[in-house]
Amino acid sequence: MKKFLSTMLVVVMVLSLAACGKKNNNDDGSDPNAAYVAPDMTKSVTLNFWSICVPTDSNRGAYDDAIKDMKAKYPNITLNELATQNDEYKQKIKDAFQAGEVADIFFTWSCAFLGDFVQAGKVYCLDNAFKDPDLKDAIDTKMCNNSMYNGKKYGVPLTMNIVTLFANMDILKEVGYNDVPATYDDLMACCDKLVAAGKIPFGCAAGANQEWCVTEYVESIIEKSCGAKTLDDIFQGRASWGNADVASAIDKFQDMIKKGYFDPNGQSMDNEQVKNNFIAGKYAFYINGSWNCADFAKVDGLNVKASEFPVIDASKSKLGQLIGGPSDTLAVFGNGANKEIAAKYALELGRLISKYGYLCGAGLPAWKVDYPATDINPLTQAVAEIVDKSDYLVLFGDTAMNSVDKDIYLKEIANVYGGQVNGQKFIDDLKKAIR
Amino acid sequence: MNRKSSDTGSIIVFLLPAVLLFVGILVAPIIISTYYSVFDWRFPFDKVYCGFKNYKTLFTSDWYPLWGSIKNVFVLAALSLLIQLPLSLGLALMLGRGIKGERFFLSVNFLPVLISTVVIGLLWRRMYDAEGGIINPILRSLGIIGEENIQWLEANGDKLLMACIIPMLWQYVGYHMLLMYAGVKSVAPELREAAMIDGATPWQVDRFVVIPSMKQVLKVSVIFSVTGSLKSYDLVSILAGDRTSAAAVPSTVLMNTKSIGLYGMSSACAVVIIILCFVAAVLINALFRERD
Repeated sequence: MKKFLSTMLVVVMVLSLAACGKKNNNDDGSDPNAAYVAPDMTKSVTLNFWSICVPTDSNRGAYDDAIKDMKAKYPNITLNELATQNDEYKQKIKDAFQAGEVADIFFTWSCAFLGDFVQAGKVYCLDNAFKDPDLKDAIDTKMCNNSMYNGKKYGVPLTMNIVTLFANMDILKEVGYNDVPATYDDLMACCDKLVAAGKIPFGCAAGANQEWCVTEYVESIIEKSCGAKTLDDIFQGRASWGNADVASAIDKFQDMIKKGYFDPNGQSMDNEQVKNNFIAGKYAFYINGSWNCADFAKVDGLNVKASEFPVIDASKSKLGQLIGGPSDTLAVFGNGANKEIAAKYALELGRLISKYGYLCGAGLPAWKVDYPATDINPLTQAVAEIVDKSDYLVLFGDTAMNSVDKDIYLKEIANVYGGQVNGQKFIDDLKKAIR
Repeated sequence: MNRKSSDTGSIIVFLLPAVLLFVGILVAPIIISTYYSVFDWRFPFDKVYCGFKNYKTLFTSDWYPLWGSIKNVFVLAALSLLIQLPLSLGLALMLGRGIKGERFFLSVNFLPVLISTVVIGLLWRRMYDAEGGIINPILRSLGIIGEENIQWLEANGDKLLMACIIPMLWQYVGYHMLLMYAGVKSVAPELREAAMIDGATPWQVDRFVVIPSMKQVLKVSVIFSVTGSLKSYDLVSILAGDRTSAAAVPSTVLMNTKSIGLYGMSSACAVVIIILCFVAAVLINALFRERD
């Protein structure tokens, strides 16, 4: 009996190993020479989809419209969406990957965040799916750069955003400016006039967990001091943080705080409070993501212009170098039961979210605009023009870096805003801590 | 013999559910955390044995301030013992004397315990707000501060720790008051009456009769207060965030390291918290035993 059981056990183990081996050798969608084979989208399957698009998200309408279109196109495919709050989702998705229980299609951020999952070998490669004749020319390859690893595509970009300098033109008029200051010196002179007139030039949230708002200012100033390529190299780990231009940019930012250019109450505020203050006319400028365009455009009587942060060192930087790019991404779980179908579905869904997100002003499209887009609010159009003229997009630092480096970077950014470290200490600390 | 084995079987059957729960929910996670704490385990990489490196990093790194967080919880524990518990005891003794509106005041003081900590955190955030909050105007009207707006919740500011501690002390005054109130009420009325007939004032009755009779309740309150301080998390997280260093507590360091995928280090942090709580409970027990 014992012998029989042992033999059976060995047989079961061998079969299990064989099955595992077979599973791992399955087509992972990355064969560059394979011809495109369309999956059977008439098959009756259920796809689970995880997103961060909770009901209050500015993209919710775009997701709803896109999902409605997809359900009409593929009636046999049932899509179960589960939306989770942003911060909670970041933890949940990591835990789910550890447990190997991830939805067929999941929302992610490009660069390092998705890179960790790709590195773990648990994300389905979308190279073959991108060969779909209906889709291959619908997106510019450069839009996929942030979700490419070892030359392979793993993500479906949705919308993109850039850091934008929003200016309240009514307040600027009060100090004699009819347009947004075009040079850095002019911007500083404008801030001086605003302070002298009892106005607050900038509002920036720096309360608990709001370090990302400070990075919108700091990264703009660093980029326009040392140049986009240098900053990109630093974020991607190709260059050291030990850069004198970065230290000088940090000192400039802290000088702005010392001169009273920032609302001191921002130190304990969250971004919603600061944004509402800007809408209420408390600040002349507000530097934040272009996703705010739709909200500002909805406010009657709010006279806001969107522009990019001026150049600080013209020998190293120029206009057209921006912070931002396609970060919001869909990806397909590598161990899902219907990954070929999920891949095609994710691409088409992503394209539609990109379209509807742009049309409702929630972001700029990562996919080509092959539909009428004349009704878009002027602010979003202005940002789209800035992006059109741009030649270098540096992805937000907290998206470009891996989670450990990002955490250190954000902690140091909080210290910069609080004045606990100066420019030299900032670069020294990060040089030592971030490899 | 048969009777004995039957009894043993019954004992096992009746004990098994409790033992399984105890082992599954308490013992196993502690053992697993201790095991993981000696691995360099960062998402998405595999675990690599690293000895006590995680503990060393936690106690020496500027970025994961466990040492600073332990100092902060000791401040919290000390303030709990010096302010929260005496306040709770005072309220319990006062209400225990059967004052008018006893039930009402009992409920009012216990109310903060019933409110969700998240709600309390958001409430205090509003109160601390430098511009629209009520703390600054109150302090100004009392002449404690000048015209300036104090930034209570400034990230890594010097007032942040105290700003987190005050609501924590306030929230649990009612909890300890209720425990102590039960202790006060359990003192036999005859003892009080006898003391009063002997000419003791109400304060002397409390000091020499009531308080010595409720030593066990006080011990429980002290243990809950100190270990609760060591495990504090939610209010700090809401008011100061998990990345804070100025107001860090061991649990924010744990959650911070876990959220960025440093699983080995967060396990080490969990082990440190367990040891701290265990040592604190043993010391307090020993202290009370000695006084007995």
